[in-house]
Amino acid sequence: MTSVAFPAALGLTLLAAVAGLVLPRGPRRVTAGVLTAGGGAAAVVAGAAAMRGGDWSARLPGLLPLAGARLALDPLGGLFLAVTGAVAVCAALYGIGYTRHGGLDGRVPQTMVPVFLAAMTLVPAAASVSTFLLAWELMALASLLLVVAEHRSRDEVRAAGLWYAVMTHLGLVVILGGLAGFAAAAHSESFEGLRAAADGLPAAGRGAVFLAVFAGFASKAGIAPLHVWLPRAHPEAPSHVSALMSAAMVNLGVYGIVRVGFDLLGGGAAWWWLLVLAAGGASALYGILQAAVAGDLKRLLAYSTCENMGLVLVGVGASGLFAVSGARALSALALTAALLHIVNHAGFKTLLFLAAGSVLHGTGTRDLDALGGLRTTMPATTALFGVGALMASALPLGNGFVSEWLLLQSLIHALPSGGTLTAVTMPPAVAVVALSAGLAIATFVKAFGVGFLARPRSSAAERAREAPAPMLAGMAVAALCCVLLAISPGAVLPALARSVAVAAPGPDAVTGPVTLHLTGLAGTMSPLLIAAFLLVAVVGLLALLRVAATRRTARRRARLWDCGAGPMSARMEYTATSFAEPLQRVFDDVLAPETDLDVTPLKESAYLVNSVTYRTRVGDRIEHRLYRPVLTAAARAGEAARGLANGSVHRYVGYGFYTFTGLLIALAVIR
Amino acid sequence: MNHSTYVQLLDAACGAFLLAGVLVLWRRDLAAIVRLFALQGGALALLIAVLGVHEGDAEVVALALGIGALRALVLPWLLRRALAGGAANRETQPLVNVATSLTIAALLGLLAYAVSRPIVRLDPTPATHAVPIALTVVLIGLFVLVTRRRALSQIVGFLLMDNGITAVAFLTTSGVPLIVELGVSLDVLLAVLVLQVLTARMRAAFGDTDLDDLRELRD
Repeated sequence: MTSVAFPAALGLTLLAAVAGLVLPRGPRRVTAGVLTAGGGAAAVVAGAAAMRGGDWSARLPGLLPLAGARLALDPLGGLFLAVTGAVAVCAALYGIGYTRHGGLDGRVPQTMVPVFLAAMTLVPAAASVSTFLLAWELMALASLLLVVAEHRSRDEVRAAGLWYAVMTHLGLVVILGGLAGFAAAAHSESFEGLRAAADGLPAAGRGAVFLAVFAGFASKAGIAPLHVWLPRAHPEAPSHVSALMSAAMVNLGVYGIVRVGFDLLGGGAAWWWLLVLAAGGASALYGILQAAVAGDLKRLLAYSTCENMGLVLVGVGASGLFAVSGARALSALALTAALLHIVNHAGFKTLLFLAAGSVLHGTGTRDLDALGGLRTTMPATTALFGVGALMASALPLGNGFVSEWLLLQSLIHALPSGGTLTAVTMPPAVAVVALSAGLAIATFVKAFGVGFLARPRSSAAERAREAPAPMLAGMAVAALCCVLLAISPGAVLPALARSVAVAAPGPDAVTGPVTLHLTGLAGTMSPLLIAAFLLVAVVGLLALLRVAATRRTARRRARLWDCGAGPMSARMEYTATSFAEPLQRVFDDVLAPETDLDVTPLKESAYLVNSVTYRTRVGDRIEHRLYRPVLTAAARAGEAARGLANGSVHRYVGYGFYTFTGLLIALAVIR
Repeated sequence: MNHSTYVQLLDAACGAFLLAGVLVLWRRDLAAIVRLFALQGGALALLIAVLGVHEGDAEVVALALGIGALRALVLPWLLRRALAGGAANRETQPLVNVATSLTIAALLGLLAYAVSRPIVRLDPTPATHAVPIALTVVLIGLFVLVTRRRALSQIVGFLLMDNGITAVAFLTTSGVPLIVELGVSLDVLLAVLVLQVLTARMRAAFGDTDLDDLRELRD
């Protein structure tokens, strides 16, 4: 099955790329979109087959010079392949409608989306260092071209592209360094060879490899403090590309950590996984705090990606920690939770980014303060975004809840059995997961309530129009996947067990319906039952209210109570800024917002106010503190270095002459 | 050809080769520089021919003829043609004056001897003993590039370097394959043709071929 579906996926995406390049403007958009969606579907089939145990491998010795390309799919790679494919189906369908305007139907964006997808299907299937790095770089370049697709219309796109280009290439450099060092020490560059040789390497060398590789992959996954590119690049990319990047590409960062850390290096020391856990926890908290105070809808979603990837890394780190301490079942459980969260996050983040794109398409703005009242003009988008927001907010009935619950279970269950290390690390980890879940609810209540309900706060929001059918279709597919995942995670979990077994071999911790086999405490949960119960409760409550309301006979129609101040206007509503203000106040020390209050009194009296100007801006503090000094130092060094190049050809040739003779003199002296 | 004749002929050719290179630094008349360059091309051809005859390799002798034709006749002819287009035929003011240039050339020669000692020690034959001379010519060519202002002097500096590199190649190996030498020679010919066009363009744009005028192009 895999041997047919995987080449079919690659073939279809490449065909889509050719179609995007060759066809004239008329049929280009639809042909490329449909072919890309077909490629995505084939990738889902291939990934699912690989997860069911249909291992597949291929060697293409002539494709790459010297080493040749090696491809192999195992259940772990298959999971990431299937997720990528599913996201691509939604994004490609959506893209057919979305790219109609704004110059997005040009050759470059239409070609690069399938190329990007092809690269993302190759990354989890690569089975040698050179193949992996090639696919990785292809993925980075294709996504970079897509991020800057709209650089003509907005200046921020260029800055975002620059940040992304620099960060992704720095990431590539460290990954390249780590994997090349690993391959050199192991005398083999195929993953099989690395796996076999890993045990023979000294502990310090393995630690260095893991550190380098972790830094690179964490940057791709948007883990603080290496996340700075993400909240810039994801919002500025076209929305279907944002969905692909935020729901599929970032996952591959986690894939890299799991593949290299667990599979190739075979576990390792406790400090590796403590580092992963700490980075994940910090990222989860920082990401959701920034998302809670963000005023830009897509920026909010991008920061939420940082948060969710942080939660995934908490699971991965905990899993590694348990594996080191010998608790195999717990390790498998934590990794299951992490991988399930990846699947769930991919589902709701695709839906949310696509819905945000539909808002942008309908109103022309992403500013939550200027939105509102979309319920009447964009009912379908509102409903779909509502579903996505529920899924993302880690409440029952949402798919995010299932995986976060599983994650919490694994962290809590570690306490009775673990040693000092787990006893010290697990309580803060539990607190981080719980706090981020709480803040996530506030964030998505804000995004949905302020952005879609109430009255429109700008003329752009008033004139909103509903998205065309292909866009709605893309979102509907994503929403359907989310709902299925939320109601019956039992359908996915057994399939995950094989993927988990690749990285953390041990007894199946999660089987069939979500039942845990753990020592000490037993945890059981059935999302389907919860859903049914909630449904019954809500319907019953509504019916009760109805009965209670109809018993009163006389009903009087009147204006809402408005304190006697006249009819309420849209200016009295909560805005995104005002909704987040209490949170901003509580987390003042972490966020360090820049607030600017300017009161101008009347000329006659200092007590009568003429106008009040209030400006508040929450910048990325990590970027400000960590990156700005480096950037200013680099800029200063560059400015100083301009003195070296004064335009004289003689001087330039002279540099070569002096270096050459200097080198010769050094040689003559040394030898 | 017996051994002493071979050594004498080789030394004579190398001497002429080095002398022509050093004299390029001394003369300021551009026409004279081109003549010196032609002389050096001839010396190089003689050097290679002597090596070829000594080793009894007909291919190397044929190469020597080809190199002689290119470096003593074709390239100087091209340079003369470039020279004929302009009025100013003197190197106006080199960045380093002639006396200092000659001193530096001597120092470069010393450096070349010091650096190539290991090569000579590796296989002490008359041919490898001449390697420092070829290396000196490479360094002198680079020095001409750094200090001379006229575009034509620059071309000659570049060609001096190339002559030196060719000489090193023939002195250290027992004959360079025909195809390699053919490639190198074609490369040099093309470079000179391009530089000639560039010189003409510079003259059209600035009315002069002083390279420091190019500074205006920065930013």
